[in-house]
Amino acid sequence: MLTSTDFLFYVLAFISVFFGAAVVIARNPIYSAMSLVITMISVAFLFGALDAWFLAGVQLIVYAGAVTVLFVMVLMLFDLKHEMKTFSKGLLGNGVKLIASGVTLGMLLVYIWSTYATEPTFKPLPPAATSSIKATKDLATSLFTDYIFAFEAIGALLLIIAVGAVTLSRITGGTHHADS
Amino acid sequence: MGKDAFEITLNIVKMILIFLVMVQLVPVLVWAERRVSGFMQNRFGPNRIGPLGLMQLLADAVKFLFKEPFFPAKGVAAMYHAAPVMALIPGALALAAIPLSSAVIVEPFQWLGREFGPYTFLAQGYDFGVGIVMVLGISSLGAYSLLMAGWGSSNKYSLLGAVRASAQMISYELALGLSLVGILMIYGTFSFQEMINQQLGQALHFNALGKEVVISWLPNWGIFYNPLGALIFFCATFAESNRLPFDLPEAEGELVAGFHTEYGGFALLMFYIGEYGHMMVASALVTVFYLGGYTMPFYEITPAYVQQAWFGGMHPNWASLLTGVVFALVMLVKVMLLLWVFIWVRWTLPRFRYDHLMDLGWKTMLPWALFNTILTAAWIAFSWR
Repeated sequence: MLTSTDFLFYVLAFISVFFGAAVVIARNPIYSAMSLVITMISVAFLFGALDAWFLAGVQLIVYAGAVTVLFVMVLMLFDLKHEMKTFSKGLLGNGVKLIASGVTLGMLLVYIWSTYATEPTFKPLPPAATSSIKATKDLATSLFTDYIFAFEAIGALLLIIAVGAVTLSRITGGTHHADS
Repeated sequence: MGKDAFEITLNIVKMILIFLVMVQLVPVLVWAERRVSGFMQNRFGPNRIGPLGLMQLLADAVKFLFKEPFFPAKGVAAMYHAAPVMALIPGALALAAIPLSSAVIVEPFQWLGREFGPYTFLAQGYDFGVGIVMVLGISSLGAYSLLMAGWGSSNKYSLLGAVRASAQMISYELALGLSLVGILMIYGTFSFQEMINQQLGQALHFNALGKEVVISWLPNWGIFYNPLGALIFFCATFAESNRLPFDLPEAEGELVAGFHTEYGGFALLMFYIGEYGHMMVASALVTVFYLGGYTMPFYEITPAYVQQAWFGGMHPNWASLLTGVVFALVMLVKVMLLLWVFIWVRWTLPRFRYDHLMDLGWKTMLPWALFNTILTAAWIAFSWR
C-alpha cells in the first residue's frame, strides 16, 4: 500500500533524478544550472519528507538560495561559446576528464555494491526527535561531539577553497587572457 | 491537512484566504505608495477616480489585464514566461508560514448525525516547526525570478539588473541571517508561535547579573532585548525586497527598468505583487521577532477572557474565533505601520552607488551582525532568565 509519504517520496525522487540527469544532458549551461536548482529544491523536500525540516530549510538557503544563484549569475556573465571551446579542446584535457569521471563512477559503484551486498543497518530514529527544535538540537549535538573532526575538516577545506579561489582569480591566463 | 473532510475543507479555504490577503493587500499598498509619495513631494497623487482615488486601483487592474502581451524577439520563451510566476511563489509561500493570529479551537460537535472531533485551526498556511529557517529558505529562491527575467528578456539592461539583484540578495542574505542569530539565541526556538508566546507578559522583565529588572512602561518585546539585531535585520530586508535605497536591480535612472524592462501588462503586475509580498513577509517577520507578533502590549486577551468579560456566556468556538480576529487586526496594524516605514524610507534616502551597497553589506552590516551575535552570546552566558 502506497502511503502519502511514499507517494511524495517517489514524486520527489523522480523529479530530482530527472533534473539531475538534465544537469548533465542539457546543452545550454543556463538550463543545466536551472535544472540543478530544481534538483536542490526537490532534495530539500526529500529531507522534509523525512521530518528533517531544519536540514530542508538549510538546504534551501545554502544550496538553492545562494550557491546555485552564484552559478547562474556567473554563467550569465560569461561568453559561453568561448568558454566551451576553451574547455573542451585538447586530448590531454579530455583524457584527464574521462579518468576523473571514471574514478568517481567506480567509487560510487563500489560504494553502492558494498552497501547493497550487506544487510542495511538503520539506526532507529531517536524517539525524542518529535519537536523540530529537539531534532535540531540533536543534530547540533552529534555534529559537535561525534562528528567534530569531520566537521572541522570540512571547515578547513572550505577555508582552503576560499583562499585558493582568491589566488586563482588574481593570476591571468587560461580563459582570462585579455585578447577576446 | 486534516483527519476528515471538514478539517481538510476548512484548511484549504484558510490557505486560499491567506493567499488572497497577500494579493489583496497589494492594490491597497500601491495606492498608499502613490498617495503617500504625493503628499511627501507636495503634490496630490492619484485622486480623481472614486473617493480619495481609491478606485484608481480598479482602473489600473483592468488596464493591466487588457494590455497586449509582449514577447521580445530574441528572448527565451520558457524563462521569460516563467519569471513572473516565480516572482509570486516565494512571497506567497513564505507569508503562509507566518502565524497571523492565534489558533482557532473548535470543540467537538454533532452535525447531520455524525461526530466531529475537536479541531485546532492555526492561523497560518503550514507549520513545519522550524518556522524561520523555512521562511528564509523559501524567500531566498526569489532571486531566481529576477535572474530568469533578466536572462529570458535577452536585453542588456535586464541582464545587468538581474545580475545586480542576485549579487545583492546573496550579500544581504548573510547579514540578514546573522542578525537573526542573536534573537534566536534569546528565544531558544525556531518556531514563530513560541517566540510570540515568549513576548507575552505585561512589561519588559529580565535578569541582569542576578537581579530581576522590570521596566513597567515598556512592552515585553524582542526589540528591547536585541535592538542592534532588529536594526540590521530591518535594513537587510530592504535589500532583500529590492526597495529603495537598495533598488539597484531596477534603477530607473541607469537601467530603464532593470530586470522587468521587457515586461508589461499583467506580467509586470506579478513582479509588483512579488515585491510587495516580500515587503509583507519582511514586515510580518519583524513583527513576530521584535514587536510581539499578533499580541497586544500591556493587555493580554485569551479566548476564556473574551468569553467571560466581553460577551457573557458566549460559545467557546465563537470566543476563540473572535480572539483570532482581534489578534489578526493587531497583526495587521503592526504590519501596515512597518509597510508605511518602507514607503517612507523610499522618499527619504537616495539610492546607493553599487560599490557603496556592497561595502555596506559586507563591511558594515556583516561585522555588526557578528558583533551582535557575540554580544548576545556573552550576555546569555553571564546573565539570563
